[in-house]
Parts: sequence; C-alpha cells; structure tokens
Amino acid sequence: MKDIISLFFAYARTGLKTRFQYKLDSVISTFAVFFREAAGIIAMYLALLKFDTINNWNIDELLFLFSLIFITYGIFIVFFMALRDFSDWIKHGDFDRVMLRPRGLLTQLVLCGADWLAAFGHGTLGIILFIISANRVGIQWNFGMAVYYIVVVISGVLIQGAVFLFFSAISFYVVETNSLKEIFYWNMRKFAVYPLSIYNKFIQSILIFVVPFAFVNYFPAQFFLRKADMAAYPEWMMYISPIVGIVLYILAYAFWRFSLRYYKSTGN
Amino acid sequence: MSTYLQFAVIKFRNKMAYRFDYLLGILNTLLSFVVYWSIYKALYGGASEVDGVTFSMVTTNFIISLGLSSAFYKNEMFLQDKIKQGTIANELLKPVNFKLRMLFEDVGEGAFNVAFNFLPTVVIAAFFANLSAPSSVLNVLLCLVSVVLGYIVLWQISFIVQSWSFWLFNVWGLITIKNVFVNILAGAYIPMWFMPDWLRNVIRFTPFASIYFTPVQLYLGELQGWDILINFARQLLWIVILYVIGEFCWRRGIKKLVVQGG
Amino acid sequence: METIIDVNNLCKTFKIHKRGTGFKGAVKNIFHPTYEYKKAVNNVSFSIKEGEMVGFIGPNGAGKSTTVKMLSGILYPDSGDITVAGYVPHKQRKEYVADIGVVFGQKSQISWDLSPLDSYEVIKHIYKIPDKKYKENLERFTELLDMGKFINQPVRQLSLGQRMRADIAAALLHSPKIVFFDEPTIGIDVVGKDKIRKFIKMLNQTDNITMIFTTHDMQDIEKTCERLIIIDDGKKLYDGSLENVKKGYVSSRIIEAEFESLPITLDLPRTEISDVENNAMKKLISFNTDEVSVNELMTALMNTHNIKDVSIREPEIDAIIRDIYEGKIVMN
Repeated sequence: MKDIISLFFAYARTGLKTRFQYKLDSVISTFAVFFREAAGIIAMYLALLKFDTINNWNIDELLFLFSLIFITYGIFIVFFMALRDFSDWIKHGDFDRVMLRPRGLLTQLVLCGADWLAAFGHGTLGIILFIISANRVGIQWNFGMAVYYIVVVISGVLIQGAVFLFFSAISFYVVETNSLKEIFYWNMRKFAVYPLSIYNKFIQSILIFVVPFAFVNYFPAQFFLRKADMAAYPEWMMYISPIVGIVLYILAYAFWRFSLRYYKSTGN
Repeated sequence: MSTYLQFAVIKFRNKMAYRFDYLLGILNTLLSFVVYWSIYKALYGGASEVDGVTFSMVTTNFIISLGLSSAFYKNEMFLQDKIKQGTIANELLKPVNFKLRMLFEDVGEGAFNVAFNFLPTVVIAAFFANLSAPSSVLNVLLCLVSVVLGYIVLWQISFIVQSWSFWLFNVWGLITIKNVFVNILAGAYIPMWFMPDWLRNVIRFTPFASIYFTPVQLYLGELQGWDILINFARQLLWIVILYVIGEFCWRRGIKKLVVQGG
Repeated sequence: METIIDVNNLCKTFKIHKRGTGFKGAVKNIFHPTYEYKKAVNNVSFSIKEGEMVGFIGPNGAGKSTTVKMLSGILYPDSGDITVAGYVPHKQRKEYVADIGVVFGQKSQISWDLSPLDSYEVIKHIYKIPDKKYKENLERFTELLDMGKFINQPVRQLSLGQRMRADIAAALLHSPKIVFFDEPTIGIDVVGKDKIRKFIKMLNQTDNITMIFTTHDMQDIEKTCERLIIIDDGKKLYDGSLENVKKGYVSSRIIEAEFESLPITLDLPRTEISDVENNAMKKLISFNTDEVSVNELMTALMNTHNIKDVSIREPEIDAIIRDIYEGKIVMN
C-alpha cells in the first residue's frame, strides 16, 4: 500500500510539473472548466429567479444536488482519467507501454492519468456548491449523515468509474468509442444534473437502469432532502448507491479482464 | 468567389464521408434539446403561459438557438493548430484570403450540420414538443436573414478569440469561457424573456442579443415595423464592429508572426 | 550457453474489418460487417541463447513487430508456445516484464514536456529499483550515452538522436536481462545512428544482455548482430549467420542515374533497369558485382549515354529477400 501511494505521488508530481510548464494556460484552463460547468447552474439560478422552484426543488436544494455531480466527477477524474480517454491510449500505442511495466494494468491506469486542473475546477465547484447549500437545505447534520455523505461520494465515483471501465473494455474490440461515450455518458450526465423526476419515464429508466447516474446524485440527495417527488420511487433506492457502485464496478472489471486478451495493439 | 465556395463544398463532402456519425450526431443534438425542453416543461408545471410567454415559444427559442449553434458547431482550435504546427506561413502564401477561406469552410460544415443534424432533429422533436408555427411567411424570411447575420456575429466573436493564439500558448480556455458567455447571454440556456431586467438591459448593449434572440423574435412575430429595422441595424452594426476588432487582432498577429518568424 | 527464448509454431491472425465503398456499402456494413483475415505471424519457430544478439528484419508489415509484441507479452498468440527466461509472457506478464526492456523507435516512453531525469524518477518507482542500483545505472548510462548535456532539458527541446538515447537509457535502468529494440534508429542521422549502434553492441558484450533488434535498415544489423532472422509475409524465411547473407548482399548494387536522353540500352549480364516515380529521366540500374564490376557498368553507361547525375544506393532488404527466394542465399 505504501508503495502504491508513493507511486501515485510520483505520477502526480510529474503530472503537475507538466501542467505547470505553462502556468498562465493552466490557470485559464482551470478557470474555464470551472466556468463551463457553472454555466448550467447560472442559467438555472437565473431561471429560478422567475420560477422559484422546479418540481418543488428550490435553488438551494438544486445546488445540493449539483454538488454531488461535481464533487464525484472531480474525484473521478483524479483516478479514472486514463480510462475516460482509454481509446486514445490504445490509438497512440500508450497502452503497449503500460503492458510492459511490472505493475497491475488497472493500477497503473488509475494512478497515472489524473488531470489535476480539471479535477480542481470540478472539485472546487462541487465544494463551493456544497458549502453554500449544506446549511440552507434543512439537513440536521450529524456523524452518521456525514459518513453517509462520504459513502455516497465514493459510490458516485465508483459508478462513473465503472461506466468508463465498460467503455475501455469495448475499446479492446472497437477502438473508436467516442460516440458511445458521448451518448451514454456525456449526454446522460447533462440529464443527471437536474432532478430525475422532471423527465419522462423513458429517460428516467435509462438513468436508473442503464447508466445509473440517478444513484450518483438524485437518490443520495433524496436521502438528505426527502423531497415529495421521491414518492414515485421505492424508498430503498435512497440507500443502495454503495451497492450499485460496487456491483457495477465488479461487473465492469470482470468484463475488462475478459476483454484484455482481444487487445490488438494497433497503435503507431 | 467560386474558389471560396469550393472550400465550403469540399468541407461539406468530407463530412458526408462519416455516415455512421450522423445518426449519433442527431441523437446527441436531440438529447441536448430534450434536457432544456424537460427543464422548462417542469418549470412551467402545466401553466399555459408565464409573463405572456407560452411554453411553445420557449420551445421555439431553444430550437432556433440549437439550429444556429449546430450550424456554427466547428473546430475552434483550427487557427491555433495552424499556428502551432507552423503551417500558417504556408497558408498565408497561398493566393487566397485565409480568413474568407476559414469562413467558407465553416459555412460548408455548418450547412452539413443544418441539413443532416439540425433538420432531422427538428422533425423528431416536432413529434413530442409543441413548436410554434411562424407568424407569417414574411416572418420566416426575415428570421432566415437574421439567422445569417447572427451566424456572422457568432463567427466573428469566435475568430477574435481564435486570433489570440498568436500570443497565447493555448486558447482552449478562452474559447470555452467565450462559449459560456454566448450560451448564457445569447439565450441558448435560458430564454431572454426570463432573464432579470437588469441583465436584459446590459445584454441589449452587447453583441449577444444579436445572435439567437433577434431571429427568435422575428420568427414569432414579436417585432413590428421600425423594431425590425432597428434589430437588423443592430446586427449589422455588431458585424462591422466585430469585423474591425477581428481585423485588428489578425493584422497584429500576422505582424508578430513575420517579425518573430513563427 | 542456455536457451533463453524459445518459440514454437507461433501464429497470430488479425481480423480486419473490410469497409464497403459508396453509400450502399456503408449501409450494408452497419448491418452486415465483412471481415478478412490476415496471418500476421504464420507458424514461426526459433530459439535464442542467453547473451545472443539477433537481428530481426523484414519489410514493413512482414510480422516482425507482431512477433516482438507477442514475445514481450503485449499480444496473446493464437497458437504456439513462447517461453522467455522461464516465463510464458502473456500469462505471467507482471513478473515477466520486470526482466525485460523494450525500446520502440516510434513511440517514446519519456514525457515530451519533462526532462529525461523526471521520467526516470517515475520509472524508478514503477520498477521499484533500489536507490543504489538506480544511481549506478543512471551514472553509467549518462556517461556512456553522453547524456550529461541534456538530461535536465525538456524532451521537446532534444534532437531525435538525443531523445532516442534517453529512451534507450529509460529501458535499461532496471537492468533487464533481455532487451527488445524495435526500429531504434528510425529517422536518426548517420552520426546518431552510429552512437546508438556502438552503445548497443558494447552493452551486449559487457553485460551479457540478450538482445533482439528489429529494423529494416541493413546497416543496423551489419554493425551490431551476428545472427539474423528474416521474416516475410508472416513466415520465417532465413535464420542464420549474418556472414552468409552478407556475401550476396554485398555484391548486389543499385545505381541511380539521371540521363539526358532516352531510351537506355545496356547489354550486360543480369543487369536490370527500372523506372523511378515522378522522373522519367531517372532510372535505377541493379546489378551484381560478381558478374559486372562497378567500373565496367559505369564505362558502358558513359560510352553510350549522356549522364546528368549518378549515385549509388544502399541495397534494400527486398533485394536480399528476393535472393533468398531465388536460392542465392541458403541457410547455414
């Protein structure tokens, strides 16, 4: 474990060093990520000045909901960026090098690929949203609540990690997976930012059963907020995010291991 | 002129080559629309109108801004890539106006996106979303003219930011920030009607109002008589102002390139 | 000497997606993809002894890279056995790769924006190289590869040759027993190539490292290896001493000449004239010095034609392979 941590820091050091070769650019890029992600929130804030609530969620409650998406993505990008961009790794022949090193393949991919600036942009946004909203949404914070919050954040990271682990496994068969990611992750994420209950049944089912973003923010947030629209779903869904995360990750991992032997090394 | 049209045609044809991508592209555009459509459906909560704005007007606003942004959807790192790779010098030696060429290539790509991405999306969206019919044929024509002008405004803003790559290592961040401003202030994320009054008053004095909102208003017949002309005049004025700024940045950039040698 | 690499009946087939043409083809493809199969490596066997240095040559797409990728554990073979240093590479990848080093000429393993030294630090962590060994190796390679001047500079500022040297050092820091070089001199100037070849040769001799060297530059092989394996179209064509091949290869020559007028007629034994792309006045004349001396050929040319320009080309692998097919080179 100690060895893994020291490897993580060795990668992190070089990663940051690379980015800080271009200091001004790094600052602007980080801010741009922050601002881009905040855009939807700003638009929502402006709209709620006129409409007050959306499906009975007020702006503070929405910010709490948003915060889970951004915090989990901020952490996700520290550990899963190489998997997010895995088809590029294959295309450029970088995965060959990973295979030539005496460490676990996923260990290397998870430890080495952090985009620290984007992580900082998303993470900061998430934390700011959390700080603004956490005391204004009427949660009686106690130790148990705090622990569950941390648990759902980790689950959220695992769920998104698992989704990309699936995509990476598919890259072993067909290298070009960008369109898949666009549809099944990025578009779904656009939906997931807002309360699940505003969508029609079809989109809801996708967000619950296919790309289970609902367990990244909506159901966990309901655990803390207990909004009326939760009545449409079984109550236990508020509690199963960790199970969804772990099960999904194990399935994705098994599929990834199985698919590895089909790696064609088409790089260069 | 025919040379430049050729650039547009080639770009259009190149896009044709990736046939499988369009199906996915349509799905992408449709889903982006559905997000905002769902949000406003929930915000309206069944109400027929809010502040005199009907839900179908809101839907129309999103469709038109979606159409324009899909026409504009392009690789905004183009100029930076040319500068970084050092091929810009060769490009400038060719006997074509580089800026016009860029514009026409983008128009070609945009035409493709409108024909194969936006229009199919509208057809599908029409099945479930209640779109407003245009108030008259004349309004459709006025809207189309204004869409073209709005496109040029959008293009020039992008060109100005892109031209900063002569000085900056990477303009990705600035382009992203610019796009946030355009999406919010021009009304792609929130229709202009629902913005707080103070913000709307500020936007009136920026080029952003000339991008999506003028075409939307013309389509819906919200503008009459002099207002139509004033809005066209405003679009034209911004085109001129942005052209001057763009040309200034471009010339300074080229000069820097020549002095320092790429 | 003990056998360290043992390969038996190795096969690897790739499935290639055949794209249809035109709109109809594209649509058909979505519902009914068609594939074709390419035997990249077809029943190849060989064994290599510890400390040997073997050149692996063949034209592009012959299967040498695929073979090296299977040897290094990157690719699963379809059938056949590989044992290297007691491991089955694709099954015991993690343990096995700690003992090997791989240099890809086309794909650097050191970061573009960092100095070689920064990348070495990470490599040290990945391979868990003990401090003392790391320091020793680093000092030694810095000196031998003459990297002192640039080891602290960002890689993007280095020349191709310097970068390659830095890359070779990166692959050796953990003291591997076997090193694979995949086209390590590609694109590098003559002086740079020479430095690299000398270093590789020296290391093979002093450290007794087993080396496999793929290239399509015959000079690389000539300067470094004693044994040669030639691969063409997925099959092993030749496996034997370099000496044996050299005889045939040294005597075949190509002259590139630009003439002032056409046509060209030459009445000499076993001399062939072929066209050069993009220039009708330029011709390639291939001949064999066993039959016609350079002197004879030049005299014949000068007497009958006006020549604008002339140069002698390196014989290419294709010529050697042709000689093997024609039975002029026999395995010994």
